[in-house]
Amino acid sequence: MAYKVKIDNFEGPFDLLCYLIESAEMNIYDIQVSQITRDYLAYTEALRLCDPALGGEFMVLAASLIELKSKMLLPRSGAAGSAAEEDPRSELVMKLLLYKRFKSAAALLLEREERAGLFFEKPAEDLQPYTNEPDEYLRMDPERFAQAFKAFLGRKQRVDEVRSIYARAERQQETTEARMSLIKNLFSLKRVSRLRFRELLKREDDRFEKVLTFVALLEMVRNRTVRAKQNSGFAEITVELCEKEEPAYAE
Amino acid sequence: MPNKNAIKSAFESMMFIWGEPLDAKTAAEVVQIDKKTAYEYFKELQREYDEAGRGLAVRETDGAFRFVTRPENFDYLQRLCTPVKEKRLSQAALEVLAIIAYRQPVTKGEIDMIRGVKSERVVEGLMKKELVEEVGRSNAIGRPVLYGTTKSFLRHFDFESLRDLPEIEDIEDAIHEPDRERPDEAEQITFLQ
Repeated sequence: MAYKVKIDNFEGPFDLLCYLIESAEMNIYDIQVSQITRDYLAYTEALRLCDPALGGEFMVLAASLIELKSKMLLPRSGAAGSAAEEDPRSELVMKLLLYKRFKSAAALLLEREERAGLFFEKPAEDLQPYTNEPDEYLRMDPERFAQAFKAFLGRKQRVDEVRSIYARAERQQETTEARMSLIKNLFSLKRVSRLRFRELLKREDDRFEKVLTFVALLEMVRNRTVRAKQNSGFAEITVELCEKEEPAYAE
Repeated sequence: MPNKNAIKSAFESMMFIWGEPLDAKTAAEVVQIDKKTAYEYFKELQREYDEAGRGLAVRETDGAFRFVTRPENFDYLQRLCTPVKEKRLSQAALEVLAIIAYRQPVTKGEIDMIRGVKSERVVEGLMKKELVEEVGRSNAIGRPVLYGTTKSFLRHFDFESLRDLPEIEDIEDAIHEPDRERPDEAEQITFLQ
């Protein structure tokens, strides 16, 4: 797990390589390829132990480093001291320098972001009240005004109608209290003191009914009319009638 | 035509009510003066607020102006209303954003090459935050999408314009390798509709 944190610290193979070069106090223009390859491989190996799915990008750079190392072993072709002969490391150095520059640009942005976090601005206002042009209403003639008012009354009436239906529908729904007495009756009807929760439910009960029964049961447990037992999660709940109701909680 | 002070006063009122950055051009049209003069007046207002050390400051983003609170008052505001701090961007996001900002328009491929790692997710995250956007397509094989920064980017980092980006030592030399094929930008980019 400790290694995992490390992975997050490196944004990619170049980041890791830059870190290794810096910590080895190496000149980026004169990389000791064999040493840095060894370090890099050891590091990625350790990272891979913890995260086998470590990005292929790390492996690609490892391969390039090994290739570079082998190139460094070969004697330079052509006449010795030829100025035109390119250092095999130069391509890698270019890439690293480019990456480092953007990394420092990222640091600048971070600094900038922090500074910009020091002041606040208001979100855009809702300009509706200012753009509604109240003049328009004043220009309206009385007849149209009366019409608009009528339409408003009509709409209000319709809304009231819908509301009254809605209210009626709600009254028809059972209350927790009613369900509690229903459950109590069930015990005396069946002449038992113990029932399974499943037996309290009817087959045709919808979700609302089931929840209502459950809430009623919780309420009854709370005021100690019944005791409920469940041996494990999702197991059957056994409901047992208490011997005597606590007078303090009796209705 | 109203005098200069009256216009500047009008600009203050307009910024106050607008909330969003108010384009100097829009403001110029409202008071019927030319855009350049309007811009100068806004700049004057900005200086005046700064010099007087007022609790509000005028900030510019790409030719648009808005009121913000003075940074020096940050602590007091925090004590007063503990404003929610936005989550800061991750290191990866900042790297990708830096590449896009300095090198735009740029393809995902170029970003990946510079970072040595796939940046697809990060770019998507930045798009979601509206800090970068698609600005066209390159004429290279597969016509990859080109990315650039948005106005939100300028605003988030408090840059007045892209010219305001801090110089990074030698960055120009480093990013324009001489042998790199780079036709004229006008030729290279096809703008999205």
